Order: sequence, then structure tokens, then C-alpha cells
Amino acid sequence: MAMMMPPRMNPSDSASGPKQHQSWSPYDNNGGTCVAIAGSDYCVLAADTRMSTGFSILTRDYSKIFQISDQCALASSGFQADIRALQKNLDARHQTYQHQHNKQMSCPAMAQLLSNTLYYKRFFPYYAFNVLGGLDDQGKGCVYSYDAVGSYERVGYAAQGSGMQLIIPVLDNQLKSASPLVLPKRESATPLSESEAVDLVKDTFASAAERDIYTGDGVEIIVINAQGVQKHYMELKKD
Amino acid sequence: MSITSYNGSALVAMLGKNCFAIASDRRLGVNFQTIATDYQRIFEIHEKLYIGLSGLGTDVQTLYQRLKFRHKLYQLREERNMRPETFASLVSAMLYEKRFGPYFCEPIIAGLSEDNVPFICTTDLIGAKQYSSDFVVSGTASESLYGACESMYKPDLEPDDLFEVIAQALISSVDRDCISGWGGIVHIVTPDQVITKTLRGRMD
Amino acid sequence: MTGKQPYVGQGLEAPHAFTLMPGPTKHTQYPYVTGTSVLGIKYKDGVLIAADTAASYGSTVRYKSVERLKACGKHCLIGASGEISDFQQILQYVDKLILNDYMWDDGNNLSPKDIHNYLTRIMYNKRNNFDPLWNTLVLGGVKNGEKYLGVVTMIGVQYVDNHVASGFGNHLARPIFRDEWHENLTLEEGIQLLEKALTVLFYRDRSAINKVQVANITEAGINISEPYALKTNWDYNAFKNPTVGAEGSW
Repeated sequence: MAMMMPPRMNPSDSASGPKQHQSWSPYDNNGGTCVAIAGSDYCVLAADTRMSTGFSILTRDYSKIFQISDQCALASSGFQADIRALQKNLDARHQTYQHQHNKQMSCPAMAQLLSNTLYYKRFFPYYAFNVLGGLDDQGKGCVYSYDAVGSYERVGYAAQGSGMQLIIPVLDNQLKSASPLVLPKRESATPLSESEAVDLVKDTFASAAERDIYTGDGVEIIVINAQGVQKHYMELKKD
Repeated sequence: MSITSYNGSALVAMLGKNCFAIASDRRLGVNFQTIATDYQRIFEIHEKLYIGLSGLGTDVQTLYQRLKFRHKLYQLREERNMRPETFASLVSAMLYEKRFGPYFCEPIIAGLSEDNVPFICTTDLIGAKQYSSDFVVSGTASESLYGACESMYKPDLEPDDLFEVIAQALISSVDRDCISGWGGIVHIVTPDQVITKTLRGRMD
Repeated sequence: MTGKQPYVGQGLEAPHAFTLMPGPTKHTQYPYVTGTSVLGIKYKDGVLIAADTAASYGSTVRYKSVERLKACGKHCLIGASGEISDFQQILQYVDKLILNDYMWDDGNNLSPKDIHNYLTRIMYNKRNNFDPLWNTLVLGGVKNGEKYLGVVTMIGVQYVDNHVASGFGNHLARPIFRDEWHENLTLEEGIQLLEKALTVLFYRDRSAINKVQVANITEAGINISEPYALKTNWDYNAFKNPTVGAEGSW
């Protein structure tokens, strides 16, 4: 009986089927960290500029921040090809919205759109860890933090990516507000000024670059406020 | 759940000006159920040498008992206390003895030498020593602790300031780790005295 | 998805990602005949891209005269590492793209950036269908005085930089480039730098051979050199006595 079977298959591993090569993975992690802080009338978004794969650095100068509208920007870390496709997807949807409604999408509306876009690929996800930041309809800073399949929450500050665990406790220490259960209801936006928030972000990235191998080279910071969008850049350690 | 995160723990030690501080959380859990909120992870070996042990609770206790025993024998034979560097080597050797069936513990050793120069060191679960001139961390909240300490630490802090820094770093970090927390305990050791303080944080 | 796009034609219907029915495989998930590293650097007047001419069949260096650098259009050159048959397929797609662009006859032609984007979309789309083109592509070009150098990997990751490499080149050549590359390399210096990296790759990459081609892309056009051999030195002490000084060796 055994001799009649094709040579590759043995009765002993009929359960597993024919021998397989080690398969390739459709995902890769290109590393990096993203942070955002919401203020009373501004929003700060920052991401490092390193792109890596495995233990190699591919480039030191890659932007993870994407400006979707005048008042809304997306910072994402994870698998760069999925992130790029996600950015193009959102951009196309935003352009359609502008044609249909003759105005730009508000940040909360974009937040919901991003969530739906991510969940649409629930069973083959975008490997993207996103932080969306901008100004809401009242002109106050807003930050939304996502997981890979679209569950999201509006928060006063957020971090995602390889340096997330290193940075979040520091932001908690500086920015955490009272519990949402406390009455009267408090603002989720931080009382810090814009320049203090930018300095805090620079400090946290410098610390993360020390201890996280995937974070480094440089940090790109954008500030969205009533005057528009301003960009800053700070060098980080290259090791 | 991994064996090293079964009980949950967080430990940190920092160097200051002629002093050191060592701090830990107080929770002991079984997976996600909290069992004790006063669990001791930092032990005194002699008045200028402390060891903190993170990881599996039973190994924490066993290792402490074995180290206490070895140090007592050393005291009898040498008629003096062990130097921190020597003790660190002892811990490393004892852990490596169990290379293929290790203790699931990652100790932090902190002490003052005879000339009161502070010393801190950590090892992994099989004894690889890592000296440091600023801070060492251990436990399930270690990544958060790295970030917090890296941001908050400054060299040559006086004991009071060192206490503030280590307390803030510990509390911020364990608040983001669901299996460590329930307060904290800090020992600040100077050449003249040992100050022990308990911290109150989120009790969850 | 009707057949308007150049790369969707007969026999390339989007397959279902997971099929439980056994039968002939229509997705290849491992390579057979592969090329090794491709290197690229920008220099003062343009872009230089280099690769050896070997194609390996597993551990055998099976073909020794394979051209892994191909010009695409007037402004762009693509170098590929990985599966050679997939590279030939990619060249077909790019040819169709360039042809369609030419047929518009509108005085405009595709820039290297456009082709880079196109390739990225192809690679990403194939990856989404679990049927990747097993290549890492290095793309370089000059248009309107702007130098462009970029990479696309088989799962659709893309980036641009002043110096790039694929495969082993990332580990062995990039550090050399990081040390020695600067904005104003002359053509000779650029070629010297590439040859240095190619030599190291020949010494240390088992699928590399000592027969290389260097392509020079400038505003004036594209020039791919004839294959030639690098000067090698096997007299280094480190080669003669590799374990001297290494702890624990004999």
C-alpha cells in the first residue's frame, strides 16, 4: 500500500500533507515610534525618521507623518507598505469628500473614516499602528489612538510603535489628567503650552532612542494650530 | 502566560551622590488575580547591601534564602561582610549553576562599598551581569521603567531628590502594567542611614 | 478589474488567497533562480547602479552571464535581485507602461519617481494576493536635473536614499557607503566606491561572482558597461590566517 503512494508522502505524515517549505510572510515591521499631544488650541504630532527591517537600517530619512487635510495629520508606524496604501486610501476618500461636500473633512470625521478603513481589512489587516492628530470642530486639539484593526479612542495624548512602552509612562507622568469618572467632567486636553509640549516630545524621543534600537536618526515634529502647520526637526542618535 | 510574568513584578535601582535607591512594587498575583498587596521583593543582605528579585515568586524566596545562607557562611569564614561586587559575582555563579533549568528571577544588586561608593548591577535569569553607572530595571514593567528612568534620571542626585525621581519613575511605569503595582516600597541607602518609604499609587 | 491596466491580462485573475483544494499551484512562494545584491549610489552628475552577472539555482552558481540591470525608458534603470523569471515579468510590465506612455505622444514622459510608484503598486498588489514577485528592485534615474534612487521590496516596502543596496549589500555595502559617500562624488570616485563594495561582496557573499556591470545614468542618457572583473587580493593576512586572535579558536 505504501509503495503505491507518491514518493514524497509517507503514511506517517499524511495528516500534515505534502512537505512544505518555510513560508514567506506578507508582513514586516519597519519599526519606529509615533507620539501626539493635544493642547487647548494646538496639536503636536511627532515620529522618528528611521526605517528598518530586521536588524538593518534601510534609510535614516523616512517620514512617517502624512498630512491628510489642513487640520488633520496621521502618524503611523509598522509595516511601511501597508501604511503607504492606507495613506493613499484615506487621501483618495478625502479628495472625493471634498468634491462632494465642497469642504475638507473635520478631524473627528477622519477619525471615524480611518477606523472603518482599518476594520474593512479585519481578516487581513493593515499592519499599521496609527495616531491621528489635529484640531476638532471647535478648534481644540484632538488626538485619536488606534490599534491595527480600527478600535480607537479620543485621548489627550498617545504613543504607538516600538518605543510606545518607553514613552507612555513619561507622558502619563507629565500629562495625565484626573479620571474621566470624576465630576465635574474635566478636559482631556493638556494645560501645557505649545512650546512646552514640543520640548516634552523632544525629550521623550531622545530617551526612547537610547533604549529602543528601532527608534533613532531623527524626529520630525509637526504642530497644527490656528495659524496652520509648522514643522520642526531634531537629530537623534544614529546607533 | 509566560512563567516570568506569572506573578508580576517591577524593580528599579538608581545611583545617587554617595547613595543609592532601590524600589519595587508590592503586588503578588496569580495570572490576573491579585493575591497579596504587601509582597516583599527587596531583601537586606547586610546593612549596606540589598538585593531585589523580580520574576517567579517561589524562586524569589528560594534564591533569597540561598543567598542569605551563603552570605552568613561568608561572614563566619571571613569575619566581615561581602563587598557588593563580590556578592554580584556570587549571584551570577549561583544562577549559572542552573543554566539548563534556571531560576526564573532577574535580580538587582545594590550596595555601598567600604569607602561608601555606591554600586548597582543586574543579571539576567542565567547570571549574565550588567553593571551600570546610572540605573537598572527588572520585572514585567521593565520596558516602561527603561523609558521612565531614561527620561527622569540625572546623575549625582541627593538622597531626597533621588527618592522623588525613583518614586515617580516606578509609579508611572507600574500604572501602565496590569500585573504590577498596588503601591511601592523604596529604600534609600546612604553611608549613615537607610530610609525606607512606602508609596501609595493606583491600587489596582 | 477589466483588462485596461497593463499588468492585468489573461490568466492573471485575482486568485483566492486561501484555497483548500489541492491541485497545481498558481502562487509561487519560493524562488528558484536568484540574483544576489544590487548596489546604487547618487553622485555629482547622476546615479550609478551596479550588480554582478550571476544567477544561482539554490547553492549552485548556475548562470554566469545574466544581465540584472536593464534600462527602462530614457530616464530610468532597474536592477533586480531575487528570482530572475519574476524580474523578466516585471520588465514586461514596465515595457508596456513605457510603450503606453510613448504612444500618448504628448511631449511628456514618465519620470523615475512615477515608475518607482508603479512598481511599488505592482509588488504590493501581488503580495496582497499571496503571490509575490520574489524580487528586490533598485531603481535609479535622472530627469530634469533631478537625481532619483529608490528601492522596492517583494512585499511592497519602498524608500529612496542617497545610497541603497539589496540583499547582502544591506549588511556589507551600506556601512561602506555610510562611511565614504558624499554629495559631490565624481564619476571615478563613484565607480571606485561601488567597486570597493562589490569586492567585499565577492569575498563574503557565496552567491556573488567576480564579473560585474556598472550602469551610469545621467541627464544625457543611460550607459551600462560591459561585464568586467574586479581586482581581488587574496594575500590579506586575515584571509591566510583567519582565526588568529579569535578567542577560543585554533
